[in-house]
Amino acid sequence: MVENQITVRLDRVSKRFGDFTAVDDLTLEVRAGRVFGLLGPNGAGKTTTIRMIVNINSPDAGTIELFGKRIDPQLQDRVGYLPEERGLYKRMKIVDQLRFFAELKNVPRVVSEKRIDEWLERLKLTEWKHKRSRELSKGMQQKVQFIGSVIHDPDLLILDEPFSGLDPLNVSLLKEAVADLKRAGKTIIFSTHLMETAEKLCDDICLLNKSKKILEGSLRQVKSSFGLNTVALRVVGENGLLNQSNLISKVEHHSDETEVLLRENADPQELLKQLIDSGAVVTKFEMIEPSLHNIFIEKVSEAQ
Amino acid sequence: MRKFVAVVKREYLQRVRSRMFIVTTILLPMMMSLFGIVPALVLSINAGGASRIAVVDQTGKLYSRFQSALVEEEGIETSSGMPNPVRNLPGVTPPRTDLPNEVAIRNVSAPSRSIDELKSELDQQLRNKEIDGYLLIPPDIIEGGKARFFRGNSSDFFISRRLRNALTRTVREQRLIEAHVDPAIVRELDEPVDLVATRVSTTGEVRDSAAGLAFVFGIGLIMYISVLLYGQVILGAVIEEKETRIAEILFSSAKPFTLMIGKLVGVSFVALTQLAIWGIAVASLGAYGISVLASRGMPATIPRLPVVFYIYFVLFFLLGYYVYSTLYALVGSIVTTAQEGGQLAMPIILLLAVGFYLFLPVSRNPDSTFAFWVSLVPFFAPITMMMRIVTQTPPLWQIALSLGIGFSTILLFTWLSSKIYRIGMLMYGKRATIPEIVRWLKE
Repeated sequence: MVENQITVRLDRVSKRFGDFTAVDDLTLEVRAGRVFGLLGPNGAGKTTTIRMIVNINSPDAGTIELFGKRIDPQLQDRVGYLPEERGLYKRMKIVDQLRFFAELKNVPRVVSEKRIDEWLERLKLTEWKHKRSRELSKGMQQKVQFIGSVIHDPDLLILDEPFSGLDPLNVSLLKEAVADLKRAGKTIIFSTHLMETAEKLCDDICLLNKSKKILEGSLRQVKSSFGLNTVALRVVGENGLLNQSNLISKVEHHSDETEVLLRENADPQELLKQLIDSGAVVTKFEMIEPSLHNIFIEKVSEAQ
Repeated sequence: MRKFVAVVKREYLQRVRSRMFIVTTILLPMMMSLFGIVPALVLSINAGGASRIAVVDQTGKLYSRFQSALVEEEGIETSSGMPNPVRNLPGVTPPRTDLPNEVAIRNVSAPSRSIDELKSELDQQLRNKEIDGYLLIPPDIIEGGKARFFRGNSSDFFISRRLRNALTRTVREQRLIEAHVDPAIVRELDEPVDLVATRVSTTGEVRDSAAGLAFVFGIGLIMYISVLLYGQVILGAVIEEKETRIAEILFSSAKPFTLMIGKLVGVSFVALTQLAIWGIAVASLGAYGISVLASRGMPATIPRLPVVFYIYFVLFFLLGYYVYSTLYALVGSIVTTAQEGGQLAMPIILLLAVGFYLFLPVSRNPDSTFAFWVSLVPFFAPITMMMRIVTQTPPLWQIALSLGIGFSTILLFTWLSSKIYRIGMLMYGKRATIPEIVRWLKE
């Protein structure tokens, strides 16, 4: 796929439920072959946006295009969706459920049989193929659900909180699978409120808050636009100076170092001077980009 | 279309393969036949064997006639005799063995002995449980004297009625003989007239009305049973995706209408499969029964009805089945759990019952305006329109109109429930209120 092709385009899309506006005048573009992070606190409108993209809901205003075409039921076959609210038929065998999902996406039987086996193998579920889903642990069920969303080899894959409740081993298993899909040229929309995960996976992000977009761009751009206003610090004997300093807006203690967010226009050199003057021993003083986590908190609380 | 087929296939296979399906398929007919057979068996159980009744015929001329009256009345099987409770009594006739199983009677008339003497002896036998009762026929019975029956605790409650009937007949015949009338002639005169009710429709066809009524009643019953059995299944099928939280995945793959109609059709195939199995079982048992009856010289035939009736039967059965199924689907789309659905589905049963009761007024006046209107209402049409067709076939346009309205209702309900289903699924764990539903529908 061409680098700059647009897989999903939302143009001034709004969605209301009664008096409540879930999505307000949202415009965004998801570029082909990229991992797009749809981020925001709970209730920001992420799920509603996704549901409009997969044609479960239709927008009250605005247009949505997938692969350059207005959305219609046919395009659903090119989209894979792993919703946050997800389940399996309890009494159905795993292989039967996956076959059913494949049929719903118009995958020929011969093809789906092969894919089911490949995916079960890959996510270490082969021995569960003929078990009923109620016999599976929650984590295993989640992997089956993931297979269900990719069984038709979709060009666009939408994952809503895909890793919640998984152990680290399974998380990395799924992350690898997602990375492979990206390498295969698929576009992935990844919705989460976990910023650490988003930071590691996403190429582009869009931050929603209270049904509005408050930030967007590539992760790189977003981060650099916030400038170097954070100091990673390792210091002994600062005697509460950090908490008193008028240069600092926020202090965050990690296990072996401290992250300090400077006030606007505060000079980091000044902070260093203050620390040294107070007799503290500074072993690390590094200007870093803000974490997505901090950007998120800053932007969201700014909007309150 | 492939998606529709996929949904139908899933719904069908999942259910037909389930243990529940196999169990009900086998168990229900067994239960039904048990309900039919057990009471009959219980009634036919005669714990103490034949009731042994001693008869004191003081007239000296009624016994043999009484005996044959009793035999004729029940007249099927004969007993293998009874112990001789009055062996030592003089003037006793030898025991007869051609009496009905339930009663064994014995003549203990002894003109030489006083009635009090006999009675005390019989009382003694009754206490010793050598006999179950005794009947005293007084000498003046022909002139209106009262016969008396003494029974012990062990004797059958129904016995007295049977003895009375037989005795009445005996006495009546005796009176006729004494009036010099041949009882055979009286019996002939007494023969009841057979009234064969035949209905002549406006088009001049002659038809068997009773068979028609039974036919419609049959449809009603089958519909009732399948709605009761499968309404809940439909409800469960619609709620299933909500409870398993799978709905969102489905909606991102297929249109809600496709899903809903796929479900309805899939479950209906399950119902039809089960009904077909039961139908074949009943038909083969019925055929067997008829052949058994025929071999015993009791010809029984299946009522003959015009072929077109069977076509209407299928159409109206499907109509009824789907109208009620879609109602259940509608309920299922509103609620979030099966329990809630069960409560909300109560009015559906009521509606079905009303349709059943309409059977009567419509059968009396199949041509009335009332019958016309109720036979257009989709909830009642399957029974009422069939009733009209069987009794006095209405013009074709009325039948077509009724079917048309019915099948449009089915589509409307399916559309409505798929719409509510789609939107309702977005709010897990909360039942929709009426204003909310109205708002969803406007969307």
